[in-house]
Amino acid sequence: MGNRRKAPAWAARMRSRWRKQKMAWLAAGICAAAAVLICMPLLMIPGGSLMDGAEMNHILSPILGEGKGFAVWHLIPVYPTMAHFYGLLIESPAFYQLFWNTVGMTAAILAGQLVVGLPSAWAFAAFRFRGRDFLFGLYVVLMLLPFQVMLLPQYIVLQKLHLYNHPAAVILPAIFSTFPVFIMYRGFTQIDAEILEAARLDGAGELQIFIRIGLPLGKMGIQAAMVLSFLEYWNLVEQPMAFLEEQAAWPLSLYLPQIGIGQAGFAFALAVVVLIPALFVFALGQDALEEGIAYIGVKT
Amino acid sequence: MQMESKKKLWRGFMLFMAVMLIMTYVSRMVYVSRMPRVKWRTPTSASIRNQVTAEGTVEAVNAQAVIGLDGLLVEKVCVAAGDRMEAGTVLYEVNTEDLLAQLAQLNAQEEAWQKQEQAKRRDAATNAARAQEDYDTTVIELDRKIAEETKKLEELMEDLETHMFRIPEEDASDEIWIAWADERLRFDREIAEKKRMIEDAQLEKEKLLRQADRNIEDAKRARSAAEGNLDLGASGVGQVRERQERIALLTELSENEGRVAAKSAGDVLEVMMQSGMRMGSSAVLRYADDAGSRIFHTVITQEQKPFVHTGDTVRLTFPGSAEEVSETIDSIVQENGGYTVTIRLAQGVAQGRTEGVMEVNSTSEIYDFVVPLKALYNDGSNAIYVLEEKEGILGTEMSVRSMTVRLLDKNEDYAAIADELLSGDLKVVTECDRELKNGMAVKVWE
Repeated sequence: MGNRRKAPAWAARMRSRWRKQKMAWLAAGICAAAAVLICMPLLMIPGGSLMDGAEMNHILSPILGEGKGFAVWHLIPVYPTMAHFYGLLIESPAFYQLFWNTVGMTAAILAGQLVVGLPSAWAFAAFRFRGRDFLFGLYVVLMLLPFQVMLLPQYIVLQKLHLYNHPAAVILPAIFSTFPVFIMYRGFTQIDAEILEAARLDGAGELQIFIRIGLPLGKMGIQAAMVLSFLEYWNLVEQPMAFLEEQAAWPLSLYLPQIGIGQAGFAFALAVVVLIPALFVFALGQDALEEGIAYIGVKT
Repeated sequence: MQMESKKKLWRGFMLFMAVMLIMTYVSRMVYVSRMPRVKWRTPTSASIRNQVTAEGTVEAVNAQAVIGLDGLLVEKVCVAAGDRMEAGTVLYEVNTEDLLAQLAQLNAQEEAWQKQEQAKRRDAATNAARAQEDYDTTVIELDRKIAEETKKLEELMEDLETHMFRIPEEDASDEIWIAWADERLRFDREIAEKKRMIEDAQLEKEKLLRQADRNIEDAKRARSAAEGNLDLGASGVGQVRERQERIALLTELSENEGRVAAKSAGDVLEVMMQSGMRMGSSAVLRYADDAGSRIFHTVITQEQKPFVHTGDTVRLTFPGSAEEVSETIDSIVQENGGYTVTIRLAQGVAQGRTEGVMEVNSTSEIYDFVVPLKALYNDGSNAIYVLEEKEGILGTEMSVRSMTVRLLDKNEDYAAIADELLSGDLKVVTECDRELKNGMAVKVWE
């Protein structure tokens, strides 16, 4: 074993950079593959909505037990048709009934959360009072509880209030949800306490401070809470399924289970149309949403 | 994100919502326009009045026949089947030349026969007179002969009486006594002889008179036969009579210029002759005499049969006539998948009619649930659609539910139904403007 000659420093740096670059490419490739895999269902929706019924049945025949092998999806339909959209948009008044139910329900929930949650979040962020931490901790605990845990108590309360099988059975619990309070609270905590103190010194009232300072500076948190709430309640399934028997009061999310496998194309068209408002809201609140997710990150 | 982009997004979002709102109305309108419209009513308690109407034919019970004039040539047929004829209506005309020729021939035959018969009668009368004469002569001769013998016998009787007064004395000699006795014996013999002769003559007379009587009788019979045409025999007389009748008929026909007219009013049923045809002795025309009765026949279906029974009183009308009668069904006979109903009409009914309409009415018991017949449909079994409210995605809608029922009775308009689930509150669909299916949402037809 003789003395080995040491590599020059620049070569070691080059090798290290190359190794890092390879790792970055590999990670990017894995992420891209994962992204494609995750987005596959989304990519199937437009194709499926334009697919002819016979072609759809042929593709789904292995799933339905009528064919052999595996189902091979056509991202681009062989026989594209607008029949499903025509059927959905022209011949299905039930879809619109549920669509407007969803719009109304979501709007009521968001409005309620603004009325109830916004002052709560401001109170937690702007004031120091006895039991505040306990109360806030309780909010966090409630936020962490899954719906299945809350189902029975909510059911009993709603029965006692004679709200079962009424849209309020879905709207009221959602209005008092703690998650948007948490998001908005996080937004309000980003406001510098000295600004609030200065305003008080200048003689501003608490309501004035809330409206003039709190709302403008906590706007991103409010928006993030609203966007996240919208996305959650636009696709609400468990609560209406549990508390609403009357079909006429159902949201759109319960319409899909009513569609049989033989109407898969119709279901895809429905998914496309249902997706549109969510995409609009997402696009409008994208900045706020990113910030809101950052607030959640802070929480975690 | 830039404010401008957000504004565009907001505008896009609002536009989307506006489009959705418009499409909501459009889809509702399309949905409603495709929705069947129905009318409904609740079942009622009522009886089913069945009316069976059937068209049929009127036929004569005993159709009359016009017998053709055998051997005559048809010149023109004046009626056709279905025609109405009155007494005096000309039915057909015969060829007059042919008619006159036949008539002349028959007249000649008749004349020759008449002459022959007259000669026969004359001969018979002569023979009878002669026989009578022979009889009379024989009687006279025999009477004379008997009278002569009787006179001789009386003379002998007187001689014998005289001889008896000349009886000899008792003491007369034997010769005298023998001579007297012999004489007396001679008288007795002669008297006996005469008596026998008289008897023989009387017997002879009787025999001859009997023979003469027979001859007279035979002569008289022969004369009577000649006068009565008895010598022709039954067939001969028949022929003569037939000829004479035919002569009379043809004479009358010739006086009518060959036109044959109906003797009574009626309806022509069938014409079996044509111009240029020489008639036979069979019927050339059949007709229904007004004086005769008629029969109405009609055929009812298997479905109509339960409402029509023998003995039922039915109403009969006749197209084109105001005549309307009530008659009784005489018989119903199953034939060729249907039932033939026969009704014997009273005399004088349906004169001049060949078609009729029978109407039978029957009223059932009172049923609990009676619905219009059009509410009933058949999907393998009898069923109705019941209108009820249905909670669905679109809220409370009216929908139809199929309900299988038992059909108890029905007529052309109503049906009596039964089922455990039936009630008087059910809204039974009676009319719809398109085909219904179970569970289908419908709109009530105001």
